[in-house]
Amino acid sequence: MLSSYPFWWLALPVLLLPVWWHRQKRQRLKAEPLATARFLPSAAPEQLRVWQWRDRLLLLVRCLMLVVLIAWLAATIFPWRGDTVLLDAGADKTWAEQQIAAAGMGAAQRIELPPHGLQWLRPHERDWRPSARLLIVARADQVAMPARVPQFSHQVEVRAKLPTAAASALVPAGRHVVLAGAQEQGGPWRSLFAAFDRAGDGAIRYTLAAEPSAKTELIVWDSTAAPPAGWQAPHWWLTSATAFPELATASTLTINGLTLKYADSPRGRLWLTDAWPPRDADTARAIYEAWQQLNAAPAPAYPMPSQTLAAARSALPAITDAKPATWLALALLALFLLERILTHVRRN
Amino acid sequence: MQSNFKPSAATMTAMMAQTKDLELVIRHVLAGLGHGLHAGRERGAGVEFSEYRAYAPGDEWRRVDWKLLARADRYFVREAERDSHVATWLWLDASASMAEPSREINGVDKLWFARTVLACVAAIAQRQGDAFGLVVCSGGKVEFTQASRGPRQLQRVLAQLAKAKPEGVLPSAEVLKANLHFARSPSLIFAASDFLDWPSPLSEALLRLRSLRHDVRLLTLRTQAEVDASFRAGAAYRDPELSDGLHRLTNADRDSYRQQSRAHFDAVATSCRQNNIVHYEARIEQPLGGVLRSWLQLAGARAK
Repeated sequence: MLSSYPFWWLALPVLLLPVWWHRQKRQRLKAEPLATARFLPSAAPEQLRVWQWRDRLLLLVRCLMLVVLIAWLAATIFPWRGDTVLLDAGADKTWAEQQIAAAGMGAAQRIELPPHGLQWLRPHERDWRPSARLLIVARADQVAMPARVPQFSHQVEVRAKLPTAAASALVPAGRHVVLAGAQEQGGPWRSLFAAFDRAGDGAIRYTLAAEPSAKTELIVWDSTAAPPAGWQAPHWWLTSATAFPELATASTLTINGLTLKYADSPRGRLWLTDAWPPRDADTARAIYEAWQQLNAAPAPAYPMPSQTLAAARSALPAITDAKPATWLALALLALFLLERILTHVRRN
Repeated sequence: MQSNFKPSAATMTAMMAQTKDLELVIRHVLAGLGHGLHAGRERGAGVEFSEYRAYAPGDEWRRVDWKLLARADRYFVREAERDSHVATWLWLDASASMAEPSREINGVDKLWFARTVLACVAAIAQRQGDAFGLVVCSGGKVEFTQASRGPRQLQRVLAQLAKAKPEGVLPSAEVLKANLHFARSPSLIFAASDFLDWPSPLSEALLRLRSLRHDVRLLTLRTQAEVDASFRAGAAYRDPELSDGLHRLTNADRDSYRQQSRAHFDAVATSCRQNNIVHYEARIEQPLGGVLRSWLQLAGARAK
């Protein structure tokens, strides 16, 4: 990342300044003396004000210098933040104040905790002075536990409010499924989704319906007839390809021992396999795992408990990132010298 | 120096313009030039011996009496008894317009040419034993150097000539009239100018002098570029003496420029002819010696 401070680029209109200087109107007042000028027709008083480019090379160097200066400013970050509390806006106020006072950060600056706070902190850590401490006060589910201990060059303390017992009865995420087609076939499907409900610690609850709604994510079409025209869902599970001509060009995917054919249609993505409805628990498990792998939705984040992350690095990653800034600074110096030389040459 | 190198006339003029030493130029120009401003009875130094005089720097070596040197071990110059009745007046126009440079030969301008020609005339007058004086019109004023004889006078006149700077306008009629008292006895008046103002107080003064039976000889100086109207087109020009705004020159204007300037100088020539004034028109790119000879010969032709 070159720049955390792209607003420096808003200073680009400064370039108009040298352009304006170099494009002055020039009045033609110069006239050569000529003894016999009286034999020439007199010219109208020359109010010839001509826009004229002067010293194009110098102008170029000056513009370049300004651009490089802006780029350098944009690439260079001066740490300017001191002790800071990253406060979750949704957190309980009194609890948050208690935590801040307990951490001894009462006088620290407070900013709102951005989503994905720890990830956000990684590129923005250069903003903080080396001696600064950071305190994150948030609800537990606002700060996701990273897979590895994050490495920061500042001391980062996380104070998370664990949900109360009543609140901890997690409201599972709901998935809306439409079962349609042969009702006698409904039995295996229902038991499949009942098994899905229980799998994965019951984190996802599957709601079955007969008609699709806006929330419907999956339509199980267990029929050879064509579906009603208005039905749409991101995914369709089909047992027969007869009503869906798109499947003629289906791609084949083998995952977890299952051979799946899929094709995209205006209704949604169509999936077809011989394996469903499952006849035994192993098949159901294979379908569940395959579906979990195919489904992009991640499992809900594991909340990060309160802990203190000590400063793990002495050197900022900014050093490696700041390389363009070094080069830009050198270029700036060179351009400045060049500009001085050219100005001097022009003056003489 | 044994060399077959013979510089062209333009190179020669440019080389002469480079030197500040007017005497050197005079010696170069006058080498081989026939003497004589007027049909004088005297034939040079030492025709009728009158006296010995101590040698002074500037005297010619050939006038030193070597026998006397052997006897007295000192340099003496033989002075001839020559009393020319003709005074020569050199009239230099050093107004701003005389700064007009030659567009072909670097370093040459009208003032340089006029000054050098007049210096040569002064040298000739000095050799001939005439009294000569100098009138410089510059910056609205008239500067006199009283007429006198001898090498010291030549030095004085040359110094005044070298000092003249092109500036200002010609003196007004009143100033000139107040200064015309110099010409009592019959005299020769050599005036070098560009004569762009004609009629003007200067021209009227010269005509007046002519009517007082003085022999007035004018040298009108022009440049080759003025004759050809070959100035750079597109530039703005201003008159150095008149503040009448800017002038322009386009290619279409060249013909009218040539016509107007020709008409002007024809009028000058006509006016001179009517008043029996010798008038010679020269371009400053011409060889100086040739111009001087032609100017003097023109006068000589009239004198016969």
